[in-house]
Amino acid sequence: MDPRHLVEHAGWLTDTPPTDVGFVPASLRRAPMGVDALDTERLIVNMGPQHPSTHGVLRVLLELDGEEVVAAESVIGYLHRGIEKLAEHRRYNAVGTLMDRGDYVSGIHNELAFALAAEAIMEIEVPRRAQWLRVLMAELNRIASHLVWYGTFGLDTGAMGQFLYAVRDREALLDILEDVTGQRMMFNYVRPGGVVADITPTAVEKIHAFLSTIDTHLDEHDQLLGGNEIFQGRVRGVGTIDLETAIAFGLTGANLRASGLGFDVRKDRPYAAYDEMDFAVPMSSDGDCLARYLVRMGEMREAVRIVRQCIEGLPEGEFMAKVPKVLRPPVGEAYAAVESPRGELGVHLVSDGSDTPYRMRYRPPALYALQAAEAILPGTLLADAVVILGSVDVVLGEIDR
Amino acid sequence: MRPDTAALARTLSAVGLKGIEIDDVASLGVVVRATPSNVHTVLRALKESEDGFEFLVDLFGIDTGDAVDVVYHLRSFGRDEDLYVKIDMDYGSDLKSVWEIFPAALMPERECAEMFGLTLSGHPNPKHLLLTKGSEPLLLKEHPIRTAEEVRNR
Repeated sequence: MDPRHLVEHAGWLTDTPPTDVGFVPASLRRAPMGVDALDTERLIVNMGPQHPSTHGVLRVLLELDGEEVVAAESVIGYLHRGIEKLAEHRRYNAVGTLMDRGDYVSGIHNELAFALAAEAIMEIEVPRRAQWLRVLMAELNRIASHLVWYGTFGLDTGAMGQFLYAVRDREALLDILEDVTGQRMMFNYVRPGGVVADITPTAVEKIHAFLSTIDTHLDEHDQLLGGNEIFQGRVRGVGTIDLETAIAFGLTGANLRASGLGFDVRKDRPYAAYDEMDFAVPMSSDGDCLARYLVRMGEMREAVRIVRQCIEGLPEGEFMAKVPKVLRPPVGEAYAAVESPRGELGVHLVSDGSDTPYRMRYRPPALYALQAAEAILPGTLLADAVVILGSVDVVLGEIDR
Repeated sequence: MRPDTAALARTLSAVGLKGIEIDDVASLGVVVRATPSNVHTVLRALKESEDGFEFLVDLFGIDTGDAVDVVYHLRSFGRDEDLYVKIDMDYGSDLKSVWEIFPAALMPERECAEMFGLTLSGHPNPKHLLLTKGSEPLLLKEHPIRTAEEVRNR
């Protein structure tokens, strides 16, 4: 005879007796542990590559036991364009166009990382105004990038409205970036030696207009999504990455700071003009999706502070150092890192003395974030997998390069 | 920022590794020259030393023309120092996984192996990462983007 329950699974409503109306059995809050008693088949689900919440073309293979993830494997490479190889065939001034197409949401940071690495080998002195313009543009780009993340993270958790408001603010930022660089996303603005163009008077006006509204808009964002009880219930305690896992899997940036280690390349290895800026590094030690949300929202406010300092204290002078038209760095090797919105974006550059890089390694922070997410997915619910992948902020253009 | 080379040499000799070359490269930092056979011991010793290099920043290869240099970029948050460990791999030789010491190496190792035509052993999932199965090792210098003929007919 089979003594198992026939209709209801074992443990049904037996955890604690229902005492009040608001009682929800623990077995309904998590995936019921009784699935094995029902002889459920393990299911392998293909999430992506065409899935709205994979932020690009990421395919995740999920092995499911009922609703719980047993194992996860991410399959990447759908967006591989061979940026590292292409860079070996381009002159130093032209590599910036490739870097833009890596992490296409925050192009300025990518270009800056390459420019810093080339400058480190060539020992170029970059004018102070260029350094400040780099910081200004990088921080505007950081806010734009975090807004994309904020909007889509809301979509991942089931909210809709915040995406439209995020795009509204991002549009103002892209207008500013277009005014200065000539492009909305593929800037090619930062080059070894400085920047390509000086800031325009119209851009300064636009920045002032943006700064006059952004604080109230950020308050609105905080209330609209962060203050939403359903959103909080959806992200609090979900996808906790403890510090040990974070360090083991190479997590950097806002994700690492949400797990309790306050390493920020801008503070600990200052580049450009960040040592002259006054800003704080938001941190949390919870390591869950809510912590990552709060850290990024805090970073936006700090970025606004830095933009304010840049626009008020922008020093006079040249915006490009005197560099030869064709750059030929001496034989050497250098590593330069920037704090991109996704973490520590590094460029390891090897020069053989010719006019093209011998080897250019692009350290993709999102690749390491994806590894960490993959590591914590087993044991979570399928619906939470979407939230976890959204919370670590992966951009597939950067992972695949 | 830069680790003390004398202290590093002491750490490595404590686990029985004598005569390991430690360079201080001006533009880059301190580079420890290990070999494919002793790299596991070197990495473990560096990780487990006091305030050790517990963070793998990056792992990648460089085709030097004679061999494939595999670079392990390590960091110690406690001491705020960066360190590079390099090994020379013969073309087509076997890269032994270090994922048990640094789990962060799981994906970069797969990428390094496929891009430089190395085989990967001791890895739980040694499949290609970015390239399709059967692709040529893209980052080797013997594979140009365009062949001389293609350049002529461009």
